[in-house]
Amino acid sequence: MITPRSDNQPAWCPGCGNFAILKTLDEALEEAGTDRRRLVLVSGIGQAAKLPHYTRANVFNGLHGRALPAATGIKLANHALEVVVTSGDGDMYGEGGNHLLHAFRRNIGVKLFVHNNQVYGLTKGQASPTSDPGFTTKVQTHGVTLEPVRPLALAVMEGCSLVARSTATDREHLKSMMVEALKHTGGTVLLDILQPCVTFNDVNTYKWYKERVRPVPDDHDPTDFEAAMQVAMQWGEAIPIGVIYRSGRESFESQQPVLENGTLLEQFEQAAG
Amino acid sequence: MDLLIRVAGEAGQGVQTTGNLLIAAMAEMGLHVFAIQSYMSRIRGGLNWFDVRIGDAPLYAGCEEADVLVALTDEARQTLQPYVTDGGATLFDADPDADDTGAPEGCLCIPLTGIAKETGGSAVMANAVAAGAVFALLGYDLSSLTAYFATAFEKKGEETIEANTKCAEAGAERIGEAAAGSIDAPEPTGEAVSVAGGTEAVGLAAATAGVKFATAYPMTPATGVLTYLAGVDERYGIVVEQAEDEIAAVNMVCGATYAGVPAMTMTSGGGFALMAEGLSLAGIHELPLVIILAQRPGPATGLPTRTAQQDLLFALHAGHGEFPRAVFAPGTPEQAYHLTRRALKIAHRYQTPVILMTDQYLADLVMDTPPLDDRLRPIDRYVTTDAGEEYVRYAVTDDGVSPRALPGGEAMVVLDSDAHTEDGHITEDLEAHLRLQDKRMRKLDGLTEHALAPDRYGPPDADLLLVCWGSTYGPCREAVDRLRSAGRRSAMLHFGQVWPLKTRLVRRAVGLEGNDARPPDRIVCVEGNQTGQFRTVLREAGVGVEAEPLVRYDGLPFTGKDIAERILS
Repeated sequence: MITPRSDNQPAWCPGCGNFAILKTLDEALEEAGTDRRRLVLVSGIGQAAKLPHYTRANVFNGLHGRALPAATGIKLANHALEVVVTSGDGDMYGEGGNHLLHAFRRNIGVKLFVHNNQVYGLTKGQASPTSDPGFTTKVQTHGVTLEPVRPLALAVMEGCSLVARSTATDREHLKSMMVEALKHTGGTVLLDILQPCVTFNDVNTYKWYKERVRPVPDDHDPTDFEAAMQVAMQWGEAIPIGVIYRSGRESFESQQPVLENGTLLEQFEQAAG
Repeated sequence: MDLLIRVAGEAGQGVQTTGNLLIAAMAEMGLHVFAIQSYMSRIRGGLNWFDVRIGDAPLYAGCEEADVLVALTDEARQTLQPYVTDGGATLFDADPDADDTGAPEGCLCIPLTGIAKETGGSAVMANAVAAGAVFALLGYDLSSLTAYFATAFEKKGEETIEANTKCAEAGAERIGEAAAGSIDAPEPTGEAVSVAGGTEAVGLAAATAGVKFATAYPMTPATGVLTYLAGVDERYGIVVEQAEDEIAAVNMVCGATYAGVPAMTMTSGGGFALMAEGLSLAGIHELPLVIILAQRPGPATGLPTRTAQQDLLFALHAGHGEFPRAVFAPGTPEQAYHLTRRALKIAHRYQTPVILMTDQYLADLVMDTPPLDDRLRPIDRYVTTDAGEEYVRYAVTDDGVSPRALPGGEAMVVLDSDAHTEDGHITEDLEAHLRLQDKRMRKLDGLTEHALAPDRYGPPDADLLLVCWGSTYGPCREAVDRLRSAGRRSAMLHFGQVWPLKTRLVRRAVGLEGNDARPPDRIVCVEGNQTGQFRTVLREAGVGVEAEPLVRYDGLPFTGKDIAERILS
């Protein structure tokens, strides 16, 4: 049998933004003091979704688009676990769009890190839900005509607990956002991470992002819904990064009467003796 | 002896309330009960009916003809009066102001609603009036009915109890001395009979087995189980969450089982189609996923409130790729209770998906059932608690079952939907892929070894053997009784587990091997689909049983009479 040898080296292209995200995640977990034994990394399918394989954690790599429901089940079964979804824009904003919408409404304590490179990597270069209009590919030969998904605005609208954006091109900023997310206890976190794709996206490059990203203004009040909506909708010449919205809602798990008696796992084990 | 009372009217008219009232009161009196509903996919209007069959011996199915029809609308009367037996009676909820001369032929016109408003002060109590009238017609003492009101309405207070009692009395009075006791009815024993329904049996089994998380997208006829669990959530410690779609539901259950709690989802054919990818995920992740598949007629939306057994081959083959699974199909509430628990146990023992198939008929029927244990008795999850840092999730073992650790301890528990190595990490090493594919499929041997034998009913030397699965148990059993009364040496073989099958056990039960039974001259496979799906399964399993088909796929359940007559013709 001719077979490739088993190894666990990243399948990413040299220069891929995923390397920066992986390295930063490791640093952020360290800084936030996250116990790896209690950490579950959940992902779907795509190049970003392979990240959990390249670090030390419990891993649930599931189906394309279905990381959020799986993460929801994990968090409900044992809400003492730190459940982090780390996956791409196609997985989270495309295939898993319905789950995304309802996860924000549900507001369970799952941290969602979306590697958003505005293009499909694993399937080789088709448009993603966040591709800008006019973006041409081998499928979208006449350019994208669909309006891009605005994940941050969607999250703000549906009451996601913490909504933020960062970029793989600024690791210090990214780390601070990841630490903020890991320390957050109020419910769902969406951290949209702008990420260059060196192979399939020659529009939204390192340079393109670097020229456009800028911190949200100091006087931005993330608890102000309308201000947050405005910032969340900004795109183009200036792209805001930082904490955009805090809904202040109570988390899903904190509102379940049954969970007042401990995690479901503890309750099962107690009953089983 | 037995008879059938049919309460019929529009959705929202209290058909169900009246039916439930009759079941509760009559079981309490010591009558054996079998009840089933027939309803349309609408919230108001249409024509729904509720059949309560009572007898002096246990009953296992419904019948087409009614001995007493309570018609709450003219449409109900017109449609269903032709199905009233000779010597039976129709109670018609007449307009109190209508001229008596206009009474439809063969009907006892009683203004059920009018009396309820007048006597009880509310149209809602028409069901008490109807129950009182039925009791009088059958010659039953009203005290059993009024005693039931006292318990059922204890919380609502004395006034409600009294109003209902008066309504029942008024209903009985309207039957009049001439008609009272005019219908020959089975003798109650005075010793209460315990009854249960299919839906509550599945729900109670799940709750007592330690299911901690249930999620579903509502879909008839599966929703009842979710509703049941939501009703007992605090008692048993269960989180019940309505999912945004069936895809979410199945993936949430996969997540919850990974984290270590027994969990389940429930759906019907269309929702199950959406779950197919998740089923396959549980196959490669090796998770104890349990799905309740409550069938209804398809294709597509089909007949949402009717019954069918059309998804057997789909359940057996759903999900891409190859992975082991077990499929159960209970025939009665009692079996539903035991097999739901078994489905959860087997899923955990073999770390693989298990499907429990019910249908509208089983979900909605209520019948004699020994009291079901309601104590929380968690199943064994077969998890290892001492796994250390060197732990790998998919260690290759002889029986294919790898030690299962849970996230949160020293061991890192890594699952991948891609082909993976023993440590759970993604690989394209084809040797590793083969090793783990073979490991997973070895679990099928264990599942087969633990497969349940079919239940045989009837003599070991039967000439005619009826083979059935799932909810066809009751009608088939009654058919066997009828055929035997007609002098035909008949027996039934019921499969509560439809996959995998253990060849030796099946052949012994049929009479093809061993000394348990004699080989029958004729084998007929009775099932609720058009193509004879279980016959295909028997062939696929290589048990060497060739059966002729006897199918029904009009959306209604079989009856014993229906099967027996078709066999005899």
